[in-house]
Amino acid sequence: MRIEAHALEHFYGHEKVLNGVDLVIEPGSFTAIIGESGSGKTTLLSILSTLLQPSRGSVRYDGKTFGELGNIDRFRRHNIGFVFQFHYLISYLTLRENVALAALDQTLVDPLLEALGIARLEGRYSDEVSGGERQRAAIARALINRPSVVFADEPTGNLDTKNALGVYELFKRFSIEGTGFVVASHDKKIADYADIIIEMEDGVVKQIHQR
Amino acid sequence: MITPLKALRKNRFKTALIFISMSVSIAAIFLISAISGGVVSMYSSMLKTDGDVIVTQKGIADTFFSDINRSLVSSIAPMEGVKEVSALILGAAPVEPLPIVGIYGVSENRFKSYTLKEGSYPSAGEVMLGSKIYETLKRPETILLSKQTFKVSGVFKSRIGFEDGGVVMNLSDAGELFHKSASIFLVSLSDLSRSDALVAEINALGNDLEAKTTDSFIDSYNQFKIIQTSSDVIGAMAFLMGILGIVSMMSMVVNDRKAEFGIMRSVGLSSGVIIGRLLSETLLIAIAAYAVALGASLGILELIEHADKFQGYINGEITAALMFNVFAVSVTMALVGTFLPALYASRIDPMSLIQRGGA
Ligand SMILES: Nc1ncnc2c1ncn2[C@@H]1O[C@H](COP(=O)(O)OP(=O)(O)OP(=O)(O)O)[C@@H](O)[C@H]1O
Ligand SMILES: [Mg+2]
Repeated sequence: MRIEAHALEHFYGHEKVLNGVDLVIEPGSFTAIIGESGSGKTTLLSILSTLLQPSRGSVRYDGKTFGELGNIDRFRRHNIGFVFQFHYLISYLTLRENVALAALDQTLVDPLLEALGIARLEGRYSDEVSGGERQRAAIARALINRPSVVFADEPTGNLDTKNALGVYELFKRFSIEGTGFVVASHDKKIADYADIIIEMEDGVVKQIHQR
Repeated sequence: MITPLKALRKNRFKTALIFISMSVSIAAIFLISAISGGVVSMYSSMLKTDGDVIVTQKGIADTFFSDINRSLVSSIAPMEGVKEVSALILGAAPVEPLPIVGIYGVSENRFKSYTLKEGSYPSAGEVMLGSKIYETLKRPETILLSKQTFKVSGVFKSRIGFEDGGVVMNLSDAGELFHKSASIFLVSLSDLSRSDALVAEINALGNDLEAKTTDSFIDSYNQFKIIQTSSDVIGAMAFLMGILGIVSMMSMVVNDRKAEFGIMRSVGLSSGVIIGRLLSETLLIAIAAYAVALGASLGILELIEHADKFQGYINGEITAALMFNVFAVSVTMALVGTFLPALYASRIDPMSLIQRGGA
């Protein structure tokens, strides 16, 4: 899926945090969004992933505007995965139930848990596993419907180096199979995995590096 | 385990809190409605037991002030369609240690409407006590009324709380005590179709009398109107408070779960599905709280009815209609209280929900 953002602006109250962002995410690409804290990464990611409506400007998905996508929940379920900085697993559901929550094909749940190395923890709740395991469950939830693009907001923010690298390797694996990734991070290491690096500063795109 | 139960169990503390608040709100609705309804129905049933027509002094606001000549009984008794006329004096006086007790002076032909449990009907200088007050006063042999000592001749049982907590004596003794001839006449009819004609005939006797059928008396009696109106007002307020309690609890729950709502939408679940899940949870709580509140209310009413302190003055009945109404209100409010905030949440961007919520 090709995502095209045009002249995005966003306000929280009177504070303007995105100030005219234009960019294109090519299908299946691995894009990193880097920038200082407060530069607008989370806001941009939320808008691109349909979780937030921009104050001004537009985003097109394979040429369609937000209004033309039809049922937005359905669109999200089929096409988009989101990994939050904080895992945001639902506390009263087990890891497996969290992953299966919106699964279109329940038979894919077990193989995916297996692939992410958390099959043996499937019956545990999020407060009964480690931070890295939680984040892997959250990644499994984002991947379960084979979305065309996964957005990840500081997915390694709460992880140590070893676990962080594990997450990136995982992304790379699915990226090779064709899933697109847009990952926001402070962590410069992400650059090693990305095809495109978008650098944000004060609500605008400062630079785009292509590799 | 089904998911709604799981969600409730995981938030045990909050679930308990909501459950308790809802139960209390519902029980308050039950108790106030039942008790206020009970007071009026008790008064009316006391008057209805053996009076089809009631005669009082003209224009009085309260039967306690009514004063009519008891000798008029002999003018009414021979009228066509009359089965029996009894005269009553309704009064109230302190009986140590109780601050106020209902005193009923009745003509002898009315004694039979009291079911004797012990002893005999009172003759001059004697009284008969309702079983409740008899127990409250610890089975006395005599009682002191306005400095006069009366011998307790017997104990009667009455279904009507006011009477069961009251003192019954001879009409003439009561006349001396309260300085009046009679408060009211209760006329029972052998031919009910004559009631209107009879009312007219008695009114034609003049002499400051006013006759009414019991039904129209109850409808027009100021005291009943006051009790009925104030109980309606209090009942409505309890209802409102209960409803507000339920709605605010429910919106707190949903508010609390905004983030969860946002997460579910971020993975592509539709608002309809999410609202459905929340509704089934609140419905579970509402039904359980209703059941507990109903059980507790029935228990409390039973206790009150048998508590010495209230001398049977307070009793209440939870009718099937009340049960149904309260059930409908509880469930509706739980649903509305969930649905409105949930609907509101479904219109907000998932990301805003997640950031505001903090799962
Ligand atoms: N919900 C909100 N309400 C008000 N202001 C917000 C909100 N979310 C973000 N902001 C502000 O918008 C600006 C951009 O925030 P954003 O979260 O997009 O930055 P970021 O690049 O993701 O930062 P970080 O690296 O710290 O996560 C910041 O100044 C922030 O304070
Ligand atoms: Mg951020």
